[in-house]
Amino acid sequence: MIAALLLLIPFLTALVLVAARPAQARPIALVSSLASLAVVLYAWIGYSGGMVIHYDLDWVNAWGLRFVVGYDGIGLLMVILTGVVFPFIIGAGYGQAVDRPAQFNALLLFTQAFLFLVFQAQNALLFYIGYELTLIPMFFLLLLWGGEGRRAITMRFFIYTLFGGLALLFGIVYLLTQGNGNGDFTALAQLSLPANTQVWLFWALFLAFAIKLPIFPFHSWQPGTYYMAPLQGTMVLGAVLLKMGLYGVYKLVFPIVPAGVEHWRTTVIVLALIGAVYGGIIAFRQNDFKRLVAFSSLSHVGVMCAGLFAWNAYGISGSFYQAFAHAILVVSMFYIVGAVQERMGTTDLGAMGGLKGPAPRLAALFLLVVVNAIALPFTQSFVGEWLMFAGLWQVDGWLSFFALTTIVLGAIYVLYTYQRVMLGPDHANAALKDAGTRDHLYLVPLIATTLILGVYPGPILDLLDAPVQQLLSSLSVH
Amino acid sequence: MHPCNNFYQAYRYTEMSILVLLSVLGVVLLYLGLFNNRGAIAGVSIAGLLAAFVLIAANWHLESPLFNGIILFDTYARSYSLVMIVVTVLLFLFGIDYYARVKENVAEHYALMVFSLIGGLLISSYNNLVVLFLGIEILSIPLYVLAGGKRDSFRSGEAAFKYFLQGSYASAFLLMGLALIYGATASFDLATIEAFSTANAGGQHLIFLLGLFLTLAGLAFKVAAVPFHFWSPDVYEGAPTLITAFMSTVVKTAAFAAFYRLIADLQLPSAVETMLVALTICTLFLGNIVALRQTQFKRLMAYSSIAHTGFLLLAFLGTDARTPDVLFYYLGTYSVATVGLFIVLTLAKRAALGDEHIRIFRGLFRSNPWIAVAALLMLLSLAGFPLTAGFVAKYRVFMLSLANGYLWTTVFAVVMAVVGVFYYFLVVREAFTPSEQETRAIPVAPLNWLVITICGVAVVVLGVMPGLLRM
Repeated sequence: MIAALLLLIPFLTALVLVAARPAQARPIALVSSLASLAVVLYAWIGYSGGMVIHYDLDWVNAWGLRFVVGYDGIGLLMVILTGVVFPFIIGAGYGQAVDRPAQFNALLLFTQAFLFLVFQAQNALLFYIGYELTLIPMFFLLLLWGGEGRRAITMRFFIYTLFGGLALLFGIVYLLTQGNGNGDFTALAQLSLPANTQVWLFWALFLAFAIKLPIFPFHSWQPGTYYMAPLQGTMVLGAVLLKMGLYGVYKLVFPIVPAGVEHWRTTVIVLALIGAVYGGIIAFRQNDFKRLVAFSSLSHVGVMCAGLFAWNAYGISGSFYQAFAHAILVVSMFYIVGAVQERMGTTDLGAMGGLKGPAPRLAALFLLVVVNAIALPFTQSFVGEWLMFAGLWQVDGWLSFFALTTIVLGAIYVLYTYQRVMLGPDHANAALKDAGTRDHLYLVPLIATTLILGVYPGPILDLLDAPVQQLLSSLSVH
Repeated sequence: MHPCNNFYQAYRYTEMSILVLLSVLGVVLLYLGLFNNRGAIAGVSIAGLLAAFVLIAANWHLESPLFNGIILFDTYARSYSLVMIVVTVLLFLFGIDYYARVKENVAEHYALMVFSLIGGLLISSYNNLVVLFLGIEILSIPLYVLAGGKRDSFRSGEAAFKYFLQGSYASAFLLMGLALIYGATASFDLATIEAFSTANAGGQHLIFLLGLFLTLAGLAFKVAAVPFHFWSPDVYEGAPTLITAFMSTVVKTAAFAAFYRLIADLQLPSAVETMLVALTICTLFLGNIVALRQTQFKRLMAYSSIAHTGFLLLAFLGTDARTPDVLFYYLGTYSVATVGLFIVLTLAKRAALGDEHIRIFRGLFRSNPWIAVAALLMLLSLAGFPLTAGFVAKYRVFMLSLANGYLWTTVFAVVMAVVGVFYYFLVVREAFTPSEQETRAIPVAPLNWLVITICGVAVVVLGVMPGLLRM
């Protein structure tokens, strides 16, 4: 029931929005996403550990495709993340003037439905189907509502991601031909392929996720796309879509090609950290607020990927904890970008300054978001980062050191940005509006979440603990 | 004899009656044209095709060899026949509107397509190489005429001539190949040739080998496999759009049915296997890469058709029991998507006063939202996106070739599939980018709307429930 609701609520609402094109598209979409959130919270309350399978139906068994949906703790965390973030993403539309809002919101809801499918699929092909389907609404969001250069950038984003997707498909088909043709994750994990096969198969499976995250050197599509995308589209990309990469690694790479992971994981960690440091340095050099946040996202993702490939309890839990924190952070950061743009009429940092004068409350809210962005203690990001550094430390102290530099870099560019926007030379018009009810309604819950989960991370860590332990113990068997 | 088939006893040779029915249909159409009875032509031809459809479907379990066993209407042949007939019906439904604007020789067009279809039925059901050759000629000769259907168009004439010239070469290859096979095996009968190939599995029988090479080259011409593809882009571009659609769906399906029927049970010598791998790789590469540079929609579809030939050839490699079904599904779904797209093209082209550049699709979503969505679904299917039929088709082909150990060829095909997505999405991008100018809705006749809708919905339904289309 829960799975059906999660898949159908957004999907059917989106269909209605496309077909009927009502004037109140945005409120309808918002209500739909809130309904999904209610279902998600209900699922969370009812969750008592282990793997929950909601449906286990035959589809086309002959090719390994079965409709198996459910979740373990990490899957549920991803479902929660999707459920929590989407009301905010749709709500962010209230500050934006979007033409054809019905279609726009319908595409957002389609994305949500497909994401719920991805995070609940327990069959590799079903996962792949959801994974590829998310591309289509994104393609149209970028193509029709994107900014300058959207035609070329959209195609690049699309083909880049699709290339990874087809590599993944190839990997899955290969796995199916090796086993008895059952594509369920549980069956695939039993395969234990020869080590030299795993070494190359690792890249077939991982490439899609490396591009989706993205990690260095597969990142070249990312900054341009984030910058060009409409604000809400960027939120979807940064907050949820890239988490499919982390989740996919956990679901499809770790249990199935452990020897391949063992062989490549230092390489991946190093690449991810190169990307993280590089992203941080480039972010510092940006003169555009939106671009800066895009590069900071690149930096964060690099650390998350490195943490994941630390391949121990600290690293994996930290990575997923940070995935959640990062989603909240991305949404609030981009909301601030939007709010500032609404007031200053630009995202160019050089033309900003002194916004704190006319808008002190917005400045305060921004500061609270910044605190999370630089992973200060008692924020959500701190918990995630700390766990990841601990995980990387177990692998090698130096890796942890390089990961830590991203925090320093992060502090530099985020605080510098804060200074350039809010303080500094006075470019702001004294008549500018301060943060209103809408901004508070939006940002206060997000900030509250980061602070509460920063002080008391228990509820999320409880979800992560069991699956991570199970994964690691199954690996030690191999 | 089937016990409960008393009624059908009179129709023991149902298959023959189908061929007779269709031949008579063609002649009747010519007479209708002679008496200038234009209104009835499309209706009569569709009714005739549906009658043939019913005849085949109703006698599903009969399997009687005809003419001393040179034709065998088995499940394989019946399945392909049904698909070819259905696709032809879809095209004829579209033809009602299409030919409403053509002044003369309409009946001849319909009749020639029906004759060509008969050739298609023959080459999907032959059991003897002579019938293969006859069928291919019956299939092709009407097409040479049809390609030149626009008599006052220079390009149409060029297309017809080019097609005829190269088609004749291919026929000569084929005939030479068949003669050599006969020389080696002393028979035209498929079963005998199969037995011969098994008996000579290890040895290198040179005449037989040469015969196979030439025969397969002739067939590769018909399916437009590289390097035998040169006719296809020019002919596709020059021929009237309806004929192009017919060639890229019905004719292609028939040619592949014939191709696979020949090699299905043959023990192919390793040299021929190598030739097939080379054909596959060349076709995949050239079809996809050259398609990238196309801006004329018909040429784009021609190269995309070549690219799909590559994927279909991939399924030929290392055949096993699943292959016929995989091919059948692929061809059926490919045809449905292609027919729909060609109809959309014709309508857009008409609105753009004959322009065929893909920019004519710009703003389609604004002006005709549903047509744009249907076109999107068909393009997604050709590109092989999940939940469309094209995905299932490609997926099964990859699965087949991997299971038969063609690892690197499959890797190559996957890379080429990405390239394929790119050029289909160039069209999608045009259709969904708002036009700078005021866009007016493209007029769509209700019947055309219906056919486009059928095609658009079919690719999704078949993609979600692939079991519906099987042998």
